[in-house]
Amino acid sequence: MSMLSRRQFVQGGSLVAAAGLLAGCGSASSGTGSSGPAADGEYTLVSEGKLTCISNLYFPPFEFMDDKTGEPRGFDIDMSKSLAEHLGLEVNWLPSQAFDSLVPTIKAGGTADVAIAGMTITDARKAEVDMSDPYIDSNQSLVTKVGSEDTMDTLDDASKKIAVQAGTTGADWAKENFPKAEIVPLDDIISAMNGVVTGSYAALVTDLPVSSYQIKNSFSSLQIIEEIPTGEQYGIAVSKDNPGLTKAINAALAEMEEDGSLDAIETEWFGAAL
Amino acid sequence: MRHGCTCGRGRAWVLAILLACVLALLPSVDALALTTNKATARPNEDGGSGVIGGIATRLTWEGTVEEGEEVSEVTLTLPEGGSFDGTSTKVTALEGLSRAKVEGEATPAGNRLTVSFSQPVSAGMLLRLEVEGMTFPSAGGDVVVGGTYLDQSGERPLADSKPIRTIANTPLQMMVATLDQSPAVEAWNANPFLGMFFKPQLLVTALFSLVPGWLLCLLIVVIAYPFAIVLGLLFAFMKISRYRPVRLVATLYVNVLRGTPLFLQIYIMFFGLPMMNVNINNNVLGVLVIAINASAYLAEIFRAGIQSIPLGQYEAASSIGMSYFQTMFSIILPQTVRRVIPTVTSDFITSYKDTSLLSSVGVMELMMFSKNLTSVSGNMTPYVAAALFYLVVTLPLIKAVTIIENRMANAERGGGPQHHKGKAAAAQEGGESAGEKPSERVMRAEALGTDPAPAPSSMAPSLASEV
Repeated sequence: MSMLSRRQFVQGGSLVAAAGLLAGCGSASSGTGSSGPAADGEYTLVSEGKLTCISNLYFPPFEFMDDKTGEPRGFDIDMSKSLAEHLGLEVNWLPSQAFDSLVPTIKAGGTADVAIAGMTITDARKAEVDMSDPYIDSNQSLVTKVGSEDTMDTLDDASKKIAVQAGTTGADWAKENFPKAEIVPLDDIISAMNGVVTGSYAALVTDLPVSSYQIKNSFSSLQIIEEIPTGEQYGIAVSKDNPGLTKAINAALAEMEEDGSLDAIETEWFGAAL
Repeated sequence: MRHGCTCGRGRAWVLAILLACVLALLPSVDALALTTNKATARPNEDGGSGVIGGIATRLTWEGTVEEGEEVSEVTLTLPEGGSFDGTSTKVTALEGLSRAKVEGEATPAGNRLTVSFSQPVSAGMLLRLEVEGMTFPSAGGDVVVGGTYLDQSGERPLADSKPIRTIANTPLQMMVATLDQSPAVEAWNANPFLGMFFKPQLLVTALFSLVPGWLLCLLIVVIAYPFAIVLGLLFAFMKISRYRPVRLVATLYVNVLRGTPLFLQIYIMFFGLPMMNVNINNNVLGVLVIAINASAYLAEIFRAGIQSIPLGQYEAASSIGMSYFQTMFSIILPQTVRRVIPTVTSDFITSYKDTSLLSSVGVMELMMFSKNLTSVSGNMTPYVAAALFYLVVTLPLIKAVTIIENRMANAERGGGPQHHKGKAAAAQEGGESAGEKPSERVMRAEALGTDPAPAPSSMAPSLASEV
């Protein structure tokens, strides 16, 4: 048996380490799902018979925790139920986690099958995970406290702090359009709203449906000073290792569009089909 | 009459044409069928907010189609040196807030990008072009996006956008670009573990861009700590006061602060105070929270330190006619200080690490910077870089605590610098019964005017090992 040179040894070692890591990931994500590598139209699930979903549950009306029961509620939750029904699965919601950790979690695999989180389809996200076809359109909004005299122009100033949710398209928009202001990324949009109410931040940028819902229901001291038409579209994040699931979800979404179940959920949460 | 009428109409025409000419000559935006609303670029400075030339970024251009017009093609142009090559373009058309079904095909050619639409974009629509992967001229400077568009009447010039401020390529970015091209780095990153936790490009950028956060962490804890020490001493004295109400107040303070998480205290201060219309700068508030929290722990450390001094010393001091305060300040506290130094240093390390919790409320410290970088890159390397910044402070301090503890244990056993004992010999003695250094005992006995007699063993070693 010939001796390995040091370089060969190191390479071999890293290969073994890499293989170990890969094997670890593989066994975690295939879990109890269908056996063998996912063929066309087949997919793996974290737990059998269930569509396991993750989200940041501080994003009403898309997802939030019920005051009394603590159960997840919202447009995305209802949509996920209908989606799971169309797929012949049960839906299983995991506890809330930070929005900016959702894509890495799906990418890593093993925890959840999908992230449904009012997540805009962007190129940056598509580089990390697969995004389903869009299921709803959205826009951005600029929110200040009632009585504030700030405008789009006065907010772009070094003395102004603008709160956003970390990792969102709203955060990107704020960074791009208020280059001089200080953009403060927070874990959830509720703390951003509290911060604007108390005057810690001059304004916040978030998705328009969220700000209008929150202003109507709980933050009456806030106002939308600018509706920002971005025409962005929400999609469902699925691991790139699970293309069969993305396909199945897209087919189910098309069905939901056709049989009117998506419209029904939109009417329930937004008063009209969008 | 009819004649006059035509004549009038003719005059009106001439006037209208003249007016149109004048309007066309004026640099007026209103005369255009497609108005430029804005052009912005996504910041591409790693860990910063600048737009750097020569590095791929995303350009967002927005325009509105005016009344009675239709636009079938838009061409955007960049100044010399900018490039649209290899870009992908997303076309969004909006009527008010709802999306219109408009598709476009983009053809990049050097510093020109032509987008032709499947059907003309109609009046009143907002048109947004997001061009991913374009680059601005690497020289930096204010960049204006111009171009042309096609409507029913043919090709017309597009109004220039407001300038986008770009900066020249930085040495750091060039270093990152070099790393990007290195095959060794590529091989390194191909390993899932190394690529996720130790990506060289990100490590370099993180080490640079985390510095302000690190300095803020240090600043917060260095300013907070003296306040914490003073407050801690105050509450330590209150806890050993002979008056019950004073003791109660101090116990309440210490127990509430030690019995609740710092995270909760931060939330109460940062969200509670502004609700009572007390608006304090975030960094100052951070100093305050850290100081108050540390003071509770320090109060306990100081109290234990003071009480570890044998009662006999108080009796001895009062027997030579010293007052309580004299005893405290010239006999007890100097010894206490020595005994609590390791514990206080450990507490300092804890406070320094605890500043990371302030990231949850928007203080721009180390953790915040690394979180931002991670959320942008989806990679764990910035956290590893942050760990290095924490360790560079904590490791030397931990080492210092160990050295001081060893010296103290050594001194308690009767060793000391005067004896010039070898290190090995001192180490061999480890773990034996604690006693006071003879020379010190003599000194203290002289101060107290009593015979040098063996003092009861102290609490110091147990105190030091508490942390």
